[in-house]
Amino acid sequence: MTAGSVKTTSPPVPVASGMIGRPRKPANTEARRDLIATTIVVVVMIVAMQIASAYVPDYIMPAPLNVLESTKELLLNDKTHIFVTLARLAVAVVFSMFAGIIIGGIMGTVGALRPILRAVIIIDTGIPALSWMLVAVFWFRDAETRIFFILTVILLPFYALNVYEGIRALPRDFVDMVESFRPTRWQVLRYLIIPHIVPYIFLTTRSVIGYAIRMAVFAELVASAIGIGSRMSLAQSTFHIDRVFAWTFLLVILNFALQAGVGALEKIALKWRPEVEVR
Amino acid sequence: MTNTPHAMIELKNVRKTFGEFIAVEDLSFSVAEGEIVALLGRTGAGKSTVLNLVMGTLRVDSGSIRVADADPYHDFRALRGRIAVSFQTDRLLPWRTAVENAELGLLILGVKKAEARRRALDWLARVKLTGAEDKYVHELSGGMRQRVSLARALAVDPKIIFLDESFSQLDHVTAKTLRTDFLRIAKEYGKTCLFVTHRIADAIEIADRALILTKGARIALLETITEESRNDAGALTALHDRIAAAMGGADDDDEEDDREAATP
Ligand SMILES: Nc1ncnc2c1ncn2[C@@H]1O[C@H](COP(=O)(O)OP(=O)(O)OP(=O)(O)O)[C@@H](O)[C@H]1O
Ligand SMILES: [Mg+2]
Repeated sequence: MTAGSVKTTSPPVPVASGMIGRPRKPANTEARRDLIATTIVVVVMIVAMQIASAYVPDYIMPAPLNVLESTKELLLNDKTHIFVTLARLAVAVVFSMFAGIIIGGIMGTVGALRPILRAVIIIDTGIPALSWMLVAVFWFRDAETRIFFILTVILLPFYALNVYEGIRALPRDFVDMVESFRPTRWQVLRYLIIPHIVPYIFLTTRSVIGYAIRMAVFAELVASAIGIGSRMSLAQSTFHIDRVFAWTFLLVILNFALQAGVGALEKIALKWRPEVEVR
Repeated sequence: MTNTPHAMIELKNVRKTFGEFIAVEDLSFSVAEGEIVALLGRTGAGKSTVLNLVMGTLRVDSGSIRVADADPYHDFRALRGRIAVSFQTDRLLPWRTAVENAELGLLILGVKKAEARRRALDWLARVKLTGAEDKYVHELSGGMRQRVSLARALAVDPKIIFLDESFSQLDHVTAKTLRTDFLRIAKEYGKTCLFVTHRIADAIEIADRALILTKGARIALLETITEESRNDAGALTALHDRIAAAMGGADDDDEEDDREAATP
């Protein structure tokens, strides 16, 4: 079951530099329309589940109320597993971010190393996540190392490539302006390059975070005895489909919350950007 | 040029090409310490290229450039703290507010944060931007941005200033105030200045000498502008016409504009 799912989970598009600097701020009416549409879809799903659960056995389709019950139970008893998954995710994302900034920075500034690093990254992105997961199980004993390794090899290339794109998109005019004051290398980094790539880092985080949490759960399913993934595996093997549904429900919520969190951080960090009204 | 006290900027047989294209053919001139020289010429004459060469962002193909006894390209760091540039476009960093942009040069030169802020605010006030200090770049008008850019250059108190027609985007009144301000500062503190402009009136009003370039940065005319010629309407008109002719005739609109501004 995992094999198929891993392959079909498509990674996010690595580079979307066209979006940089022109955040779309949907008009209020558009946001409201989105909310209404989402609500309708959710309601329809719940009703469909309710109807289906009346006709099929409980282990195929649980009633929505049972799922809600299980969710409550999980939140009460399995909180640690949620935190474990989130902590693993946070460590891997932060590490990939910093390592990606360094690698992308080297790609953008050291011409001689660029082709080599780029080849490594392109090959890395071509390797299926499942291969990394299986390899990690062979290579590492410790579950934390396995999951950290899996998430890092998956996330790092996105950061590296986007940071590299960002540095390439640095306007020559800005470089000349800063250099007219004869700065040190560190000052160029501090006053020009770092602030310039911040939007690229946010864009990357926003586009990989959903993918990252799915990968974290998969990795746990393959490589660990704790965390949301392992709990889902346990629920499945003990025929608690209501818990599988409950975890799924929680993951969807978690994904929304993470997206919103990154979005809010981005809004604060990039408050200097003009809000572009798109009609 | 032989009686100049000390050449602050000196170009000898400078040549610069972009691929096949010859942007600067064979240019030699010098600017004395404390002198203000205007570079004029039609669009594409090579004015910005000359400025880029002199400030060390471009490298000469052949010939030599000395700025304050240093090669601006090869001795890149030698000019630290001694030059400042106000570019043709404002080049403000969008993630910094007006005052944060104005203090950038000072911070790079190692001025303490509080002192840099104080001097930047002072300069913003001089270019009449009080009240806009904390606005981000996209919240400023084109003219305001240009003034922040000028404040950023002047705030570092450089010995040598390069200006690439920073006044041309401003309205007449603001441009005039800035011009007077700029002139006063340059003269008062003995700044050496090389500035590019399209407007003949600007050149006559500010510069000690005007260097008129045509395609390939060839010197068409080198005029010394004296106080007498500024104050004598007849001489002024003659000077204006000579420059306009050397440029290959100014646009009619421009010319009228220039005359109007040039007449005291
Ligand atoms: N980096 C470059 N690559 C190729 N050609 C260039 C480059 N920079 C300038 N040129 C060419 O050199 C010529 C002179 O350009 P420059 O920008 O110096 O003109 P300018 O006198 O400043 O014109 P303007 O008044 O419009 O600013 C132009 O024909 C331009 O196309
Ligand atoms: Mg120019």
